[in-house]
Amino acid sequence: MIDVKELLRELREEPYEKIVIRAPHSGKVEFVASEPGVRVVGPGGTWKEVPGTLLARLEREQVKRPINAPQKGEVMSLGDVQNGQFVQAGQELMTIRHFLTKEEVIARILRRSLSLFLAPEKGKYYFFPEVDIKIKTKGSQTVHVEDGMELFILSRMKRETSVRYTGPGGIIYAVYFETNDSVDRDAPLIGVCPESQLGQIQEVVSRIQSEWEERD
Amino acid sequence: MKNSSEPKHHKILIANRGEIAIRIMQACRKLGHAFVALFTEPDRHSEHCVLARKLGGEDSLYRVSSYLDANEIFAVADQAGATAIHPGYGFFAEDYRFARRVVQRERKLIFIGPSWQVIRELGDKINTKRLARKLGVPTVPGSDKPVTDDLEAEHIAKSLFDFQKEQGINNPVILVKASAGGGGMGIEEVADLDKFRSTLRRIKNYAKRQFRDEGVLIEQRIFDFNHLEVQVVSDRTGQNPVHFGTRNCSVQSLGHQKRIEVAPGFDPSSLRYAFDARKVLEDITEYSLRMAREAGYDNVGTWEWIVSPTGQPFLMEVNTRIQVENGVSARIATIKGKGDVDLIAEQIRVGLGAPLGYSQKDIALNGVGIEYRIIAEDPDNKFAPWVGRITSFGWPEQEWLKLHSQVPTDREYEIPTDFDPNLALAIIWGKDLAEAKARGVEFLNALKLEGVNASGEALKSNIDFLRRKTETILAF
Repeated sequence: MIDVKELLRELREEPYEKIVIRAPHSGKVEFVASEPGVRVVGPGGTWKEVPGTLLARLEREQVKRPINAPQKGEVMSLGDVQNGQFVQAGQELMTIRHFLTKEEVIARILRRSLSLFLAPEKGKYYFFPEVDIKIKTKGSQTVHVEDGMELFILSRMKRETSVRYTGPGGIIYAVYFETNDSVDRDAPLIGVCPESQLGQIQEVVSRIQSEWEERD
Repeated sequence: MKNSSEPKHHKILIANRGEIAIRIMQACRKLGHAFVALFTEPDRHSEHCVLARKLGGEDSLYRVSSYLDANEIFAVADQAGATAIHPGYGFFAEDYRFARRVVQRERKLIFIGPSWQVIRELGDKINTKRLARKLGVPTVPGSDKPVTDDLEAEHIAKSLFDFQKEQGINNPVILVKASAGGGGMGIEEVADLDKFRSTLRRIKNYAKRQFRDEGVLIEQRIFDFNHLEVQVVSDRTGQNPVHFGTRNCSVQSLGHQKRIEVAPGFDPSSLRYAFDARKVLEDITEYSLRMAREAGYDNVGTWEWIVSPTGQPFLMEVNTRIQVENGVSARIATIKGKGDVDLIAEQIRVGLGAPLGYSQKDIALNGVGIEYRIIAEDPDNKFAPWVGRITSFGWPEQEWLKLHSQVPTDREYEIPTDFDPNLALAIIWGKDLAEAKARGVEFLNALKLEGVNASGEALKSNIDFLRRKTETILAF
């Protein structure tokens, strides 16, 4: 069984995450939040429909794309970019220090508690259409997987192949990839929890809920 | 072929990657034009980046998030001061909306390719089929519009099965194709009407994921055919198309991906055919030019043909772009007696508005060209791509050999998984089929291609497959 106490101690030593904000595409950048120490908030609302603090705008083809804070935190440092400069895709714009929330701590600990199924190869992964529909309509925790079950479609080099799940049977407790994102080899795709261990996992979740104190 | 009245100082943005980006850079240099190249993160070690810096300097290379983000490409074009865009042979090459935007945006650019109206007309398989039928050009029996309705699709499938049975075909088969697809992507066969529904669902899902368009075409599957192509070139007048002969692209992988292309398409001088092969080649070039003239075709393009075992040609589609295999047609061609033809340079030249400057009688075709697509894949395992690090890549130089590749020869190279798996194109020339084949095998025997994957397994490639298939090329 996982040592939750030890994991929490490790996380308390560095209770934040550094988030590097990079130019999502090429274009001219116009900074809005450009001072270190500025407090920012992430997306809000029931559906995360309220965008986070506007950090900058990136213009291409006369369209200004907002770059919003992905999480709550504060601007730590700025990249080596001037206001109005043309930046290339991937160029570093700034770094945000984000203090971990309860949900993020839970996710981190679960990642070490669940049985992870890792990407066998680099590529784009999709759930089989039947599974995909079930996840979208009822949530991943309604899907039971078994060793050998055809679960994913791997798309790479313009080819598609099916990928079978290998590991213990159980429910898909967490999904770690996004549709259309390229996933590296050995990156986790899903976290599976055998039904017999569901109680223990839920216990871990409630313990963190009560013990972790979020910082503003 | 350069004309003194041509504009001199164009800067061409190359909206593609890999070996085609390299060939476009080289063509730009040959014609005296500057270029701007792009790369994405997974491609940062590609030789096309090295060459861009070497030929054009640091400012000629921009990192972008995707080769398929039109807005970003235009932003780079404006920043770099580009005057034209060459789409290579990627998705933009056949996207009429992109081509239209290039020429109609506020800061207008030149699209190196057919005009958007031509792409719209011929890039659509359905329109092409209709135009062909109007001009008396034979096409494959099947639907003449994208089908999205499952009941309609089933009805068409059933009538195609019935039609084949009426023709005396004992085991009729149909093809279900993503109508927005191309290059062999999104095609499956159905031999049993009961399995049609599941295949249809699979192709529609695939088409939706890959092309965001779930329309399908349903056609008769013609067996044991040869896949031929006609290379067409025309200038902006759209009135004077010429052809650079035919190619045979019948050696393919299981997924209908081309592996060997040969020019010309048949060789009746050394092989026997069950039909008049010369006439078939003449017919398909004549049909292709007839359609090109009617459509006002105004750049390079390829007419793709199926030829049945009895010598009946059917038009499959028109690729309104330069194709991977253009070099094999160029290799056997001379224009006004001058060899070393570069169809990419010709495409850029006429794309920028220069007149063609020659007619069909000025073009001669000599000898036989073979193009090998060198790919890290496992032909014994359904041509599954092999992914890993190339540790050694090299070949002896020959005057009869041209090799195009984005894989470096002076350092190790991790194969990116985000793109198609081609590593290199080798184009071999011989004065006749026998000599071309012998040289082809000589090249394959001497080619050094080694690598290792994350599990420590040695690189798998299609070299043995290519060698084996060389024995029977152009036999039908």
